[in-house]
Amino acid sequence: MAMIRAYRDLEGCMQLLGHVLRRLAVLKLPPIAEQLTRQIYFTGASATAGFVTRGAFIGTLIIVYVIEVLEADAALAVKILLWVVLREIGPLLAALLVLQRSGTAIATELALMQVTGEITSLRRMRVDPGDFLVVPRVVGMAVSTAVLTFYVQVIAVGGGMLLSALVVNATFDELADSFFLLASPMDIVYSLLKSLLFGVSIAVISCYHGLHPPGISINAIPKAAISAVTQSILVVMLLNVVFAYLMFGVLLFGLVTAKL
Amino acid sequence: MNTANQPVVAGARLPQALETSGVGLACELPADSGSDGRIWIPTGVSLRIRIANPAHRARLLAAIFDIEPDPDLRLVLLGAEVNALSVEERTALRARLAFLASAGGLLSNLDAWENIILPLGCHHPERLQGIAVEVRALITELGAAPELLLAKLPEEMTPLERKITGFVRILLEAPDLVLVENFAAGLDSAERTRLSYFANTYHARHPGGTFVQLEDVLGG
Repeated sequence: MAMIRAYRDLEGCMQLLGHVLRRLAVLKLPPIAEQLTRQIYFTGASATAGFVTRGAFIGTLIIVYVIEVLEADAALAVKILLWVVLREIGPLLAALLVLQRSGTAIATELALMQVTGEITSLRRMRVDPGDFLVVPRVVGMAVSTAVLTFYVQVIAVGGGMLLSALVVNATFDELADSFFLLASPMDIVYSLLKSLLFGVSIAVISCYHGLHPPGISINAIPKAAISAVTQSILVVMLLNVVFAYLMFGVLLFGLVTAKL
Repeated sequence: MNTANQPVVAGARLPQALETSGVGLACELPADSGSDGRIWIPTGVSLRIRIANPAHRARLLAAIFDIEPDPDLRLVLLGAEVNALSVEERTALRARLAFLASAGGLLSNLDAWENIILPLGCHHPERLQGIAVEVRALITELGAAPELLLAKLPEEMTPLERKITGFVRILLEAPDLVLVENFAAGLDSAERTRLSYFANTYHARHPGGTFVQLEDVLGG
């Protein structure tokens, strides 16, 4: 039963994603463009301050711990900053914070609209809920997640370098020089692509569960939010593993090796 | 144009706005409903029909507005047998229909102005230019103050203001058939008299249109 439900959810999410890709042109319509602006403001702009602080705090904490435990020198500290913070922790942290803040909000809002009959009202106005509610949320969330990832990376890497300079035997300038020597544009492309995909996944899953709550009573609303969060975390982790495999070439403790 | 107080003669040579059988309906004009519950509403009139059973009302509304046909319900809308239409034809037909829900059918996270222009902005964005003047005039005509109403969210509106907002939205699209659900719900006796404003405003803008009230009970 759970397998059938999981398959149905996956199929529904894929259909919703297909709808978004087919109907991107509706973003030109004034009411839908307004929804997109609001989504970017809510997920991106209004969240930035608290979001970046939390991200930077967690990012720098990780660096300090890793440097302390591994007794890292300057070269290792820079590698940790690049591989762990820039490529992995930045996008993952941004995705989890976006999910915590906006994913739950989307699932709850849409489930409430479904329960109170507002989705039916939209249909009776011949406004496709997929166009009006899903397309701007998915695009807005993808863009916001990518931008927030960049913020987190800049703050976490910058803060990490400052802290590293205090605990390892190297100046901030030396650390920055070796970081930029080691980093490549591919790192930015990699993390940008990953964060875009994380944003799309979280938004599609949240919209799907919001539009398909498990009932029409008020109890269905928190259930929809819970399903959205648990499935989004699963998909984000899964995508992270796939990206790590493509980047580092090793999956499942070395059992599978990439040949790219 | 016929109004609710002017009898509609069954079999008159007016085209049909709505004809159905298979759900329990009663019309305030007995000549229009058959003993089998069949009802026939000609175009250009303004009248009330009663559907006491909520399940029947939901079924009729679904048959009218949903794209999926209901094979067990015979329904003729604006001269077209609904079940015989293709999806494209049904979609085109739906563009000529509008529904005012009892609570206005508004989206709770949009203010009155955004609610009003939503369908127009999605279907005819080119018409949004200069629409503000028309919207303000319609709100005034229906008895509300536009400067107060337009910035309000649905939760801040009175039941009458919600209906006015929903109805202005409908008027901008000029549908051929308007269904108004339980207009009196949530209104006091003075506010209920405003219904005639709604019907008159609609017919003044769209003389050939049909204005149908769906009620739980007839009378009043």
